[in-house]
Amino acid sequence: MIRVVSMPRFFRRSFFKDIFNKLLGKNKILKIGFYGHPNSGKTTLANRMTNDWIGKPIGLVSQIPHETRRVYRQEHVTLKHDGIELNFDIIDTPGIATKIDYTNFLEFGLSETEAKDRAKEATKGIIEAIKWLDDVTGVLLVIDSTEDPLTQANITIMGNLEARKIPFIIVANKIDLPDAEPDKIFSVFPQHKVISISALEGDNMGELYQNMVERFR
Amino acid sequence: MDADTKSLKMDFLSSSALNSQTSMEKVSMIVDRVKNGDLVVIEGGLSPEEEAELIETTMREIDVENFMGIDIYTLEKDKTSFFGLSRKKTVGITIIGPANVMKEVKKKSNFLSMIANLGDSDAPMH
Repeated sequence: MIRVVSMPRFFRRSFFKDIFNKLLGKNKILKIGFYGHPNSGKTTLANRMTNDWIGKPIGLVSQIPHETRRVYRQEHVTLKHDGIELNFDIIDTPGIATKIDYTNFLEFGLSETEAKDRAKEATKGIIEAIKWLDDVTGVLLVIDSTEDPLTQANITIMGNLEARKIPFIIVANKIDLPDAEPDKIFSVFPQHKVISISALEGDNMGELYQNMVERFR
Repeated sequence: MDADTKSLKMDFLSSSALNSQTSMEKVSMIVDRVKNGDLVVIEGGLSPEEEAELIETTMREIDVENFMGIDIYTLEKDKTSFFGLSRKKTVGITIIGPANVMKEVKKKSNFLSMIANLGDSDAPMH
């Protein structure tokens, strides 16, 4: 009589696969941080991505700088490109700046009290964004193609990512605008991967998705 | 900056003076001086972690009425390796000052020009 003994649960293939994945760090949740200056288009890009992959936006967008004043997290986004899946959480951070002048907000019709409150909240948001650098596993550094890319905030973000060995892609955003100069971003950061897109119009998102799969997987 | 005489104080700090300090000491020293209206010129640069700490400390110190933050500019220089095979940029000097004072800064690869704004009554210093 042949006795069939089923393999104990801990000897199953999935058990070894789990161990193998843990050794490779594959079970780690990918947390992709969206970093950059205020108004560079981080939330527009995050919204574009969550709309593309889970069918809903992540946050509010406005013309007033520092609209995002706390970190927003969208869990379980699955990006599929060329048959490869990338599962990750989106961490949309407030724009990083070295200064906040509340009078700038008055130009957008905010009252003085609202402008000062916004400035105070923005300082906290920047601190939170910097703290998240310790937790993200990959970063999209979003740069407005119509602005000078060589700013202290961008340099500080990149320096910290390199020091922490966190992979990142520079996203030259707003290429739909007539005064966009994405080539300038390519020329000042030749050592880094730069993808030019319009998050608003959805231009060149395929190339960005492909590079995300390659770099962050 | 002296609000009465509208003069600007600039502190020049050598790299050896800074190297004896911890990161926290460096950042505190810079923010204290800049918050006081002074301009700090450092030989060399800060590490990326120190830069992040500087921004974080500045955000904690911002008082929307009186201190709006800092501006940082660096001037880089080429550094050639021992055998002259590779060349990379390193920070030669770093200038950090109050954002409401460093109004106009023109920067090229080997040139930095700044106009300090001393007389703006709408930009309080302290």
